[in-house]
Amino acid sequence: MTGVPGITRSGQAARRPVGFARWSMYGFLALVVLSWGYIFGWTDSGVGDLLSADSWSDSGRFLRQLAGQESDAVPAFARADRWLETAKLAYDTLVMSVLAIGLTGLAAFPTFVFGARNVSSGELGGAPSKSGVALFYAVRLTFAVTRAVPELVWAMIIVFFLSPGVVPGAVALALHNYGVIGKLSSEVVENLDPGPARALRASGAGNLQMLLYGVLPQALPSFLTYLLYRWEVIIRTTVVVGFVAAGGLGREFRLSISLFHYTDVALIIAWYLILVVAVDLASAGLRRLVSGD
Amino acid sequence: MRVLESRRLLTLILFAAFAWSLSGVDWLGPMVHTGGPQSLLRFIQALFPPELSPAFLKLTLAASFQTLAYSVAAITVAVLVAVPMGLLASGVAARSARTGLPAAVAARFLLGAIRSVHELVWAVLFVYALGLSSATAILALALPYAGILGRIYADLLNDVPEEPLRALRASGASPFQVFLFGRLPMAFPDMLSYSFYRFECAIRSAAILGFVGIPGLGYQIQLSLHDILFDQVWTLLVALVFLVVAVDLWSTRVRRDLVS
Repeated sequence: MTGVPGITRSGQAARRPVGFARWSMYGFLALVVLSWGYIFGWTDSGVGDLLSADSWSDSGRFLRQLAGQESDAVPAFARADRWLETAKLAYDTLVMSVLAIGLTGLAAFPTFVFGARNVSSGELGGAPSKSGVALFYAVRLTFAVTRAVPELVWAMIIVFFLSPGVVPGAVALALHNYGVIGKLSSEVVENLDPGPARALRASGAGNLQMLLYGVLPQALPSFLTYLLYRWEVIIRTTVVVGFVAAGGLGREFRLSISLFHYTDVALIIAWYLILVVAVDLASAGLRRLVSGD
Repeated sequence: MRVLESRRLLTLILFAAFAWSLSGVDWLGPMVHTGGPQSLLRFIQALFPPELSPAFLKLTLAASFQTLAYSVAAITVAVLVAVPMGLLASGVAARSARTGLPAAVAARFLLGAIRSVHELVWAVLFVYALGLSSATAILALALPYAGILGRIYADLLNDVPEEPLRALRASGASPFQVFLFGRLPMAFPDMLSYSFYRFECAIRSAAILGFVGIPGLGYQIQLSLHDILFDQVWTLLVALVFLVVAVDLWSTRVRRDLVS
């Protein structure tokens, strides 16, 4: 904070950011034109096909196949034994999501504080040190790399090392979400009220004590809330990761659709929606515990 | 005190859930491939150096542009769908609560339904229903993104402070004028900033469309992994990280300027 409000020429300060946002809008519009130009000019855009009557009847037939109206066999979603068989897969999928969020939490908890600029600069704990700053950049780089790579790509790499199943899927999900949770939680620490930590330092607390009593109590509620939010995202992604990591419903989805067992596909989508709704409700309930009402 | 107690309960639940998930894993089966550790070592060694031949760098650049183009195209469609849906879902456009409420409930339900299915699941379904083309891939990306954006737009339009709106009404503004000069300008910066954040996510989503055969970084990563050319995988991963971080820095800057 430099200068006194009212004395500085605030008009100048206010114009610059608006200018940046406006130029970003123009830049984005240019990207839109370029992208659609590429898609119509250089790829099989298929927009014409999308509007043709044939595609509409094709998708109509696909929907009827999902609903089991194109064959005489009893649809999979009308058979109790198929529900029971796939229940095990839904259970595996739920296990994968909880394992993933657990691994994410365990890995992010001891590291996110060091990804905060105000901790490495010594504002919230201890004296500034070269190693602290180096640690800050190393942690932030790790967050950026793990976050930038999508879960599915992590899974494609991990199946080279780990045997297919629930574990490689959970590790792939945990790697991406480690970067997401780490970055978000570090930013929470950067926006903390420095008061409690300073008061602790003034009364002679050591670095660890400032961390334990000045920083973590303020940051942990947000950390937990983010974890629970990410669980909702993870349950949606377990199916996709299961395509390659071969765990849970994802594997069955891929198999069924390759074998044209359409009513099985419908059954798996039904399980998937049940899981998504259940996890959303559970996460909302647990988040209420964070705020204590 | 009640807050502390409920947080202790939450910690207990979370640890119990994690222990349950560990018990759900089949620990007896082989966890690591035979030769898995050697593959891991080869994968890490391949980073020093990654594939840097001019031809491959050119291919990486082209793939990065393709991924960017698909994400931009998908985001434009998503915004075009999300604006009217968000307006309906917020209920602010309705003339009266009697017509507005059912429309809002229906719109929110529809937005919830399209965003609960992952974009790659949409993509696989579209490929089987309509065949693979750029249009089906973009639609598959745009649907869940429209679901998320529409819901956030609706919440932001609902959450603006009431006082300025009341002042407009008191000075004789029509409901449409209250919306155009009160509600929309107040919610717009947040709507724009959230859309920019979603643009960053769309790049990752566009990359994984390679799984159904759409060209881009994900597709190339899959091809290189298939041929076990880890040095190429690293080059492509670095390009993906650069693309995502660049858009992240851009959108963070825009958000900081818009919401302050």
